[in-house]
Amino acid sequence: MLDPLPAESNISTTSATTTVESTIKKEDQDDIKSIKKDQDQQLNEQVKKENVDEVERKAGEEKAEEEEEEEGLGIKQEHINGNHNINNKQQPTPTINLPTPDIKILKKKLNGYVGFANLPKQWHRRSVKEGFNFNLLVVGETGLGKSTLINTLFNKDLYSSSSSTVINGNESPKRRDNVEIKSIQTTIEENGVKLHLNIIDTPGFADQINNEDSWIPIVDEINSRFDSYLEFENRIDRTNSNNSYFDERIHALLYFIEPTGHSLKPLDIEFLLKVHKKVNIIPIIAKSDTLIEDEILEFKQRILKDIELNQIEIFKPKIHNQDQDQDHDDKNFIQNLIDNIPFAIVGSTNQIQTIDGRIVRGRQYPWGIIEVDNSDHNDFIKLRDLLIRNFLIELKEKTSKELYENYRTNKLIKLGIIQDDSVFREFDPNLKQQEEKALHEIKLQKLEADMKQIFQQKVSEKEKKLQKSEAELFARHKEVKEKLLKQIKQLEEKKKQLENQRLNPQSNIESQPQKTRKGFLR
Amino acid sequence: MTEPVGITSLPNQRYKLVTKQGGEFTLLVAGESGLGKTTFINTLFQTTLKSPIDNRGRHKRGIHSTTEIEIIRAELEEKNFKLRTNLIDTPGFGDNINNKNSWQPIIDFIDDQHDSFMRQEQQPLRHTKHDLRVHACLYFIRPTGHSLKPLDIETMKKLSTRVNLIPVIAKADTLSPNEISEFKNRIRAVIEAQEIRIYTPPIDLDDEASADHSKQLIESMPFAIIGSEQEYDNGKGELIRGRKYPWGIAEVENESHSDFRKLRSLLLRTNLLDLIISTQKLHFETYRTLRMESGENTETNNGVTTTARKLHNPKFKEEENALKKFFTDQVKAEEQRFRQWEQNIVNERNRLNTDLDEIQQKVKALDEQVKALQLKSNKR
Repeated sequence: MLDPLPAESNISTTSATTTVESTIKKEDQDDIKSIKKDQDQQLNEQVKKENVDEVERKAGEEKAEEEEEEEGLGIKQEHINGNHNINNKQQPTPTINLPTPDIKILKKKLNGYVGFANLPKQWHRRSVKEGFNFNLLVVGETGLGKSTLINTLFNKDLYSSSSSTVINGNESPKRRDNVEIKSIQTTIEENGVKLHLNIIDTPGFADQINNEDSWIPIVDEINSRFDSYLEFENRIDRTNSNNSYFDERIHALLYFIEPTGHSLKPLDIEFLLKVHKKVNIIPIIAKSDTLIEDEILEFKQRILKDIELNQIEIFKPKIHNQDQDQDHDDKNFIQNLIDNIPFAIVGSTNQIQTIDGRIVRGRQYPWGIIEVDNSDHNDFIKLRDLLIRNFLIELKEKTSKELYENYRTNKLIKLGIIQDDSVFREFDPNLKQQEEKALHEIKLQKLEADMKQIFQQKVSEKEKKLQKSEAELFARHKEVKEKLLKQIKQLEEKKKQLENQRLNPQSNIESQPQKTRKGFLR
Repeated sequence: MTEPVGITSLPNQRYKLVTKQGGEFTLLVAGESGLGKTTFINTLFQTTLKSPIDNRGRHKRGIHSTTEIEIIRAELEEKNFKLRTNLIDTPGFGDNINNKNSWQPIIDFIDDQHDSFMRQEQQPLRHTKHDLRVHACLYFIRPTGHSLKPLDIETMKKLSTRVNLIPVIAKADTLSPNEISEFKNRIRAVIEAQEIRIYTPPIDLDDEASADHSKQLIESMPFAIIGSEQEYDNGKGELIRGRKYPWGIAEVENESHSDFRKLRSLLLRTNLLDLIISTQKLHFETYRTLRMESGENTETNNGVTTTARKLHNPKFKEEENALKKFFTDQVKAEEQRFRQWEQNIVNERNRLNTDLDEIQQKVKALDEQVKALQLKSNKR
């Protein structure tokens, strides 16, 4: 795959550097796949598949280059035919199907100091300055120790005793119509790093006699948080929401499973299936100190089986086998976390002194102390490693880049917004030029047609007008002339008559009365 | 005594994630040709990114190109960190006799990228976004020692409202240190007077070292730089990049010879992220807001904005004008014909009128004759 390029003489002198010039050519399909994979590490399997498909599609196109050529010729034709469309205002941008741009990517490993390798450090600094935020959804039946675990995880009395859900014997249980959504916000700071934490609790889940609709308020909550983010994205002015903690999307769901030792309950499965496409699920076995080691192992197996059979997606950190940077210890560490899912947890904020004198967080039983922060006793540390210490950012990234995107895509499509894939083309100046030229030609043709039409219209109008006045002129002339000729004729006749009279007065009958009259007058 | 929650790990998680993902950086170099833009790119990344070989395949599709934008895409790797780098060159800028609007292709390119990103972002499925939004724009100033030229001022004004603009004095080895500081002062004065908004590194008050560094960068602007792909022995057995003159070597990386190191630091080592983020949050958002507010040439199709393409190519304008002229000429020719025609009609009318006059005369003559005859006969 690596071809040293002899032309790069200044680099080939240093042995450590390999220069690769790789043009994305269709014959190197494997190469492309690996590049694509690299770029799309964050995208889900489906997307990866699509990319590969796309590459294959492209390869197909290349093979059918002749056809493409024909297509190219077809464009002009289309433009001419599509000329009348231009008058149609609904089509401001005629789509032009130009071939996919020929994008070249140079690949180089740099030897000397340049400095951009500092970018992760710049991110580090910036993130410290900006702080972090995290929205954690907590769901589980009452009495599974949710509040205690949250307090234990974040080392803080987030659920004060006053807000305790413990019900006094005298009071009748508070009646809830359905699940409530309760949110607790706090900021935790350690060594100058700030975390704005938002715990979204769901008291009342699974507490009804009929829990058929238990999931509705929770799903609504997840959706409405996505919706408000979507609304923000579509706002005209987005500049005033620059702070990092305005993101209210749920980044993870801690789902508490009752330590029955049996398997998942129908409600568990139904609920998880309702939300698993929208949120990163971290299932945990609550109050695991009621189960002995073998029971836990078996219980975990059954839960995993249920999850698998029902095709419930739960959050699992990724192990990148191709990634050399991820060292062996790292991989083993992640594998160990994955192997212990669902984590069996004990929570406690009580400080207890052990027999050997250590002060630990734990629960004291007559038969011994179960220590929270002891991985031999329960999976608390693993949960904290996964949720906070190693994958909090990844949980957020996955929420933003996969779950939210997924939600958004479905929502927009339901709203009737049509995908326009033409906007995703790589920018290519030459293509742009061709495109502009094509557009220009359309414009020119329209201009020409318009001007020609106007011109011809004006010319023919003028011609008609002139013809008309010509015709009128002749007609009038003819009329007048005829009139005059007639006059002449009349006059000539009269003249003739008069002359005849003079030569032959007797014959003039008409003169008789004149004479008599004259005679009479005389 | 209780164990920490582990919040301190969060910046490290971000670090790891970025390391894994790599970065993307788009740099545009603008300025008249012959100011060493290409050399600078190759000097900055210490490798030949732009060479004739790279350009050869470019025009194989047989387009006779007058492209004013050239893009080099590269995936660079330093210490296992990968940076997708897009370098935008703008050959032909300021090369004409009349350079009115010669900034237009550059401005259009920048706007187009914002526009394209905006439209990609609006699509339901958008995980394959291509992003060529310009994170930093280096504007090369000719080392005249005088001041900024009107073209420089106009172009920088236009650029500064839409991109992180970083002015640089090219080929600084042609100016002495005094001349440079004088020249810098003049340029800064013009920039201030013309209200050109150049990129300023943020000063982090919580961190003295970083604040000092930023201040130093700000004070050095516009950076006076030397670029070179050649390496010379500096006499101590070290190879250094520089330009060798009979009177000595102008060293690229020597702080007392040029501001190259400062500029590199700003572009890559210390402010790369700030350039990227400010492009997104300031320049892109400004463009997007304006675009959505104006609604000019914009039709909203279910929330998806489509934009009518603007065409600026002077050749297009020429062709349009030629077409218009063709019609104007035709109109003139026709007008001429009509004038002739009208004249003919007038002539004809005159001829006919004369004809009628003649007849009229005849009538008159006859009439008189008749009258005379009548008179005579009456006398009798």
